[in-house]
Amino acid sequence: MNELNFHISPILTFFLNEGVPFETIRLILMLPIIATLIAFLRQVVGIKAFGIYTPLLVTFAFLATNGIKYGIVIFVVIILIGMLMRIALKSFRLLYLPRVAIMLTIVALSILVMLVIGGSLKRTGLASVSIFPILIMITLVEKFIAVQIEKGDRAAILLATETLIISILGFYLASWEALIQFIASYPWTILFTIPMNIILGKWTGLRFSEYLRFGEIIKRN
Amino acid sequence: MFEFIKKSRGVLGMNSRNLEYIRPLNRTSAKRLADNKLLSKRILKKNDIAVPALISQIKTLEDLDNFDWQKLPDSFVLKPNRGFGGEGIIVIYGRKKNRADAWIKADGSIVTIDDLKNHTRNILDGSYSLSGIPDTAFFEERLKLLKLFKPYAFKGIPDIRIIVFNKMPIMAMLRLPTKESHGKANLAQGAIGVGIDLASGVTTTAVAGKQKIIEYLPGTRLLLSGIKIPYWMDILNLAVRSQEISGLGFLGVDIAIDKERGPVILELNARPGLAIQVANLDGLKWRLKKAAGIKIKTIKKGIRVGMDLFGGEIEEELEEISGKKVIGTVEKVKLIGKDGKEIEVEAKIDTGADWSSIDNELAKQLGFTQTIDEFEKLKMPYEDLKNLDKEKRWAIYKNIPDIASTIPVKSSNGYTYRPMINVEFIMDNVTTSTKITLIDRSHMQYSMIIGKVNLKKFLIDSSK
Repeated sequence: MNELNFHISPILTFFLNEGVPFETIRLILMLPIIATLIAFLRQVVGIKAFGIYTPLLVTFAFLATNGIKYGIVIFVVIILIGMLMRIALKSFRLLYLPRVAIMLTIVALSILVMLVIGGSLKRTGLASVSIFPILIMITLVEKFIAVQIEKGDRAAILLATETLIISILGFYLASWEALIQFIASYPWTILFTIPMNIILGKWTGLRFSEYLRFGEIIKRN
Repeated sequence: MFEFIKKSRGVLGMNSRNLEYIRPLNRTSAKRLADNKLLSKRILKKNDIAVPALISQIKTLEDLDNFDWQKLPDSFVLKPNRGFGGEGIIVIYGRKKNRADAWIKADGSIVTIDDLKNHTRNILDGSYSLSGIPDTAFFEERLKLLKLFKPYAFKGIPDIRIIVFNKMPIMAMLRLPTKESHGKANLAQGAIGVGIDLASGVTTTAVAGKQKIIEYLPGTRLLLSGIKIPYWMDILNLAVRSQEISGLGFLGVDIAIDKERGPVILELNARPGLAIQVANLDGLKWRLKKAAGIKIKTIKKGIRVGMDLFGGEIEEELEEISGKKVIGTVEKVKLIGKDGKEIEVEAKIDTGADWSSIDNELAKQLGFTQTIDEFEKLKMPYEDLKNLDKEKRWAIYKNIPDIASTIPVKSSNGYTYRPMINVEFIMDNVTTSTKITLIDRSHMQYSMIIGKVNLKKFLIDSSK
């Protein structure tokens, strides 16, 4: 049953024998690690992104697409369309939900067009991306619009960029062969993310970004 | 590097603000009050605190359908009840001439009843509220801009943000709306934040948006420092009182000054931003830590302590600019007499006197007994001396030990000539070597006065 060529903890061997695919186990065990990474980036580094849920989902969407480059392309296209649509819909003065519904429609159709173009250019990798990661990323639109309304275009683009960066980091972390092997051998170690998050949750120091933001104050005092 | 980290402890970061201040000090019920503008308006008003007057409110779509738009006044502000960051606010300056259904906004654009209806619908829908929950729209009085602020504010009204903690004002800034901020006094949207010295209510340093440190109002030669905020004590009093009423332990109060009504509270903030630190070029954390240890019973005391602990930077700055020391009307002075004898006294600063003088007794203690005794022994009447020329007069006195000169002095029983001697004195770390008059000040409170000739290196702050 174990066609993987590295050591696997007995408990995981048991799971595999029960028919749970290794890919699924890997994703589930990586989830707390990526979540902790996002928490760390927020509390200690100061990268905000769209909360914890969105970058986590986008990371998994990247993991589920065939290669990260298509994931990034889809992400950027969604954000660009979201921005353009906001400008286009501005003069209509629509209420929030209908406006988001129109945006989702346009984004969905654009992705369809993109897949067709990808197919015609023999980019079969793009055309065969499964529907779920695409759907996950389309939900980005609502997050993006909400931030645009609350905090303006610049903040929305900044947060979208941060989300993209975190998701790319998360993707490479979860694809890191050595980490996968380590987790497969010692799955219990993921429980260490809990004390790590307790420490992060009590962390009152300045964030790295705040050292930059308040640098002038610190220098002058 | 290590030094940098150590110094950074005085600055308040997001993590610390949330975990150590907002979480333990601002309870849910108090936060709810701050987030609900209508409720906080009502409660503040009940406690006799000035707030912008409420004109009317729209709670449901039904209210909206039945609303009589004609009864709105010529100028007003439309706001979402749970809005934040100044979003969703429409400011109406006046009616459009010859049109019953239209008003004019700050930028001169026209707003019709249909526009207002649509905007209100968006508010009710929760487009501008925290986490998008359905909201109430309300109309309130438009505050009128103070003349003083006119050159500094772009199409909007500046406000003053004060952080209050433990009944003490901790830090304050003036927020100026700009073109970038679309007339809103919100730093995240590009408004200008100007630090305010707590003790004097005078502006210090400034920041544009969230980071850029500036000295002048962009595009002008208007200096942003040195603006004296009117009603400063009233503003601090309002701020601290609103803390007591709201129960928010860590509070950001926004206060605007109306041309006619004076200071009014615009808003209470349960999660005040950190940009105020950049505007003041100073950290909040050390101030909060310092304030935490003090027991404050009354509002008055809290304001006093806050002003004393965290104010006063202005003075040092003034000294830097003018190169002059700032002194009060009474200062400690160290006199150096004969044979290096030192005596410390309190001296009255008197810009009405030309020369400085000390009491005879004090002069004797400084070792000039002989000078005084021999001067008195001569007993020269003023009338005789007055008509002598300088040299002849000096001839009479020049043999008295230590005498430097004589001077006519006016007192209650007419003019007399008094002796002058050379002494050195040290005031506020400045050593002055000067001639000084010896007179009888035994009936006066201060045994020394310092006159104009010795005040050239100082500026006098009469409130000190």
